[in-house]
Amino acid sequence: MKIAVAGKGGSGKTTVAGTVARALAQAGHEVIALDCDTNPMLGMSLGVGAEETDRLVAARQALEAGELDHQPNAAGIVATFGTEAPDGVRLVVVTRIDAADPG
Amino acid sequence: MVRHMRIAVAGKGGAGKSVIAGVLARLLARRGERVLAIDSDPIPGLALSLGLGPVDTPLLAAAAEQDEDGRWQLKKGIGAARAVQRFALTAPDGVRFLQFGKATAEGLAGAMGSLTALYRVVHRIARDRVLDGWSIVADLPAGPRHAAFDWAPYASTYLVVTEPTLKSILSARRIARIATSRPGVAALVVANKVRSPRDVSLIASRLQRDVVAAIPADDDVRAADRAGLSVLDAAPTCAAVQAIAELLEELDERVDRRSRAS
Repeated sequence: MKIAVAGKGGSGKTTVAGTVARALAQAGHEVIALDCDTNPMLGMSLGVGAEETDRLVAARQALEAGELDHQPNAAGIVATFGTEAPDGVRLVVVTRIDAADPG
Repeated sequence: MVRHMRIAVAGKGGAGKSVIAGVLARLLARRGERVLAIDSDPIPGLALSLGLGPVDTPLLAAAAEQDEDGRWQLKKGIGAARAVQRFALTAPDGVRFLQFGKATAEGLAGAMGSLTALYRVVHRIARDRVLDGWSIVADLPAGPRHAAFDWAPYASTYLVVTEPTLKSILSARRIARIATSRPGVAALVVANKVRSPRDVSLIASRLQRDVVAAIPADDDVRAADRAGLSVLDAAPTCAAVQAIAELLEELDERVDRRSRAS
């Protein structure tokens, strides 16, 4: 399954995405949870906690700052910008929040 | 004493930015100020909170044109003042209203033109010091990115709105950090949907910042939102409106203090 969760701010996208991801994992699926939000909070809903959520955002920012290398393939991205969430879900943050040009 | 406010309202999705921005703009207008309310969200919501009803139109589409390379520009002769004069809608209490708006059935072009025109207008307001006698209240889209995109370069005050939830508070922290990276910008925390004093202390302690206003969770706000009305029309004396009026008094005091200091 490849599911995208969309909606207006505050409507509950992150909570639905996090819960569906863990339910799938509990049912035995291998699950990657991608946080594509410019305000990445999926870690909170998956249950990895505030610190680890912010650490992943910081890793993604470090790429922009040139302190981390770009990854050549998907596996590298999942390893470098991801973390293990409860029920074996792999959380990966793919957006940055402080881009300075519009569009 | 006339005080001019340059306010950007930011926060996580659902935190209550539009309601606070809409009520503040109208309260400013009611005391005689010229007020421009700006919605730079591609999912427009401020029109409803101002009491205009649903307005999805890309208002500035006709103010933009594409140059030879296909890049959108403001049409010649249209600066910030003219854009407001010609394209802003007039909301209740005389608030003038500009928004980016949504793409139409005819396609994305109108919305892209409107987006670019609005971005140029807000930067000219900051750069050219036009609309100097106006107060401005802007409703920024959800999350921290819009502060980073520099959608409110004229703003001297960011109202960072947060609910008493950890996700909302962490978003507020990100927004405050980015907003205050511009010199001279104050980020003031507004606690919204507050049910107890503990909610306020949670927000203050997590953010390590003073909370300038605590707006109660108010069923009248929910009812107005459900009906697509401004809470100022639907329930003008409700607790949330009173708290936003107090927030305005607090902002007045800060403006006075700043002008006394300078």
